[in-house]
Amino acid sequence: MNSLDPRVNRLPQNVTSNKEEAALSQFSTFEVFVQPNPKKTFQHEGAVHGPNLEMAFVMAKEAFTRRFTCSSLYVVETAKVFVSALSEGDQNAFDLIQEPAQSTGHANSFEIYILQKRGKQTVHAGQVFADSPEEAMWNARQQLNKATQVFQVWAIRTDDIRFTTVDEGDLWQTLPEKKFRDASDYKGGEKLKEFLDKGNNL
Amino acid sequence: MKEEATKELLYKIADDQLVLGHRNSEWTGFGPLLEEDIAFSSMAQDKLGQSLVLYQLLHQLGEAPPDTVAFMRDSTSFHNCIFTELPNGEYDFSLVRHFLFDTAEKLRFEMLRESTFIALAELAVKISGELRYHDLHARTWMKQLGSATEESILRLQQSLTFSLPYALGIFEVSPYEEELTSEKIFAGEKILRDRWMERVEETLKKTELRLPQWESINPVFGGRAGNHSEHLQPLLDEMSEVFKIDPNAEW
Repeated sequence: MNSLDPRVNRLPQNVTSNKEEAALSQFSTFEVFVQPNPKKTFQHEGAVHGPNLEMAFVMAKEAFTRRFTCSSLYVVETAKVFVSALSEGDQNAFDLIQEPAQSTGHANSFEIYILQKRGKQTVHAGQVFADSPEEAMWNARQQLNKATQVFQVWAIRTDDIRFTTVDEGDLWQTLPEKKFRDASDYKGGEKLKEFLDKGNNL
Repeated sequence: MKEEATKELLYKIADDQLVLGHRNSEWTGFGPLLEEDIAFSSMAQDKLGQSLVLYQLLHQLGEAPPDTVAFMRDSTSFHNCIFTELPNGEYDFSLVRHFLFDTAEKLRFEMLRESTFIALAELAVKISGELRYHDLHARTWMKQLGSATEESILRLQQSLTFSLPYALGIFEVSPYEEELTSEKIFAGEKILRDRWMERVEETLKKTELRLPQWESINPVFGGRAGNHSEHLQPLLDEMSEVFKIDPNAEW
């Protein structure tokens, strides 16, 4: 390969790909939840790939919190996010949740997320205690179903989550200063005007 | 004398960050997976940011402005250790270097929190979160690939064996070591090296990777005194290519 970008010419050439390698690089996905500041609730931001929960946390930090502000984030394997049916029209997703056949106890805590508007992020609505995700959904219907319509409900067992630890609170300490990572920090208007004026005066 | 000692300390830390930051930024767009590409690029950017603050401190001590210092010196005036200037090679080497270097960097700044040079102590506190992430990222990758497959373990082991002599070059003793310690500006390279060895051992114990006896490794010194490998000057030429077209341009 011969490129004008010298970095390209320096890339290792012996990249091989075989089936075994492909299988190893097919990572599962993990969902990422972010709290922009301590006064706000957590909200779903997207997914990252990773071989395990810890790697997913490490990847999520830069993939989803490298701009603006952040006070905390957590990740959970996508397969461990229990999702309700998506409601249509003016139907409330909570109303679609069925009571589980057997109610056994309240051994685990679950984080409940709701989708309040299609196209928006799913946001944290509260915590319930249950033995199974189905039961958590039902308990959420009983305890967190407010007057406003929601389109979908998610339940995540709290123990399945990789949270930001107390020690890690400083991970985003300098983030507000990194304004150069956002387009709004680049104001070309005045320079452009100056350039055009120069042209007009020629 | 005290000021000379402080400057020498600032230069070597700043040059390490600038040179390795630039090297690591060469992976932007070529990382092994999208998320890692973003993470590695962000950390490279952090390093450039940290070098800028250190060059600003040097400017306050009478040195040339940061852009001049970063882009207009030739390799013999750079104080970075040779480890940071080595070409990226394959990702295993870049990861191993990231782990070995950033472990030292985090410990160095932990020590600098106690520095009597207040501006440096304040910087050490301020960037602790960035360094925590770099360290977490490096250790997580080492633990993952250092015990994943035969190939990943072998590749990391080869890069580790190759890197260790250069990594020990991070701790090349300064001619001002005595002033720095007596003035309590920095507790010294030897203490840093011992803490680093302990920390590296601690992480590698959780993997299949083997560390040779420390005494059997011959450190590669010279970088701190401006004696670099053939790789630094081309890196500097490439890094400063645009700046040198018009050093007085306003950006």
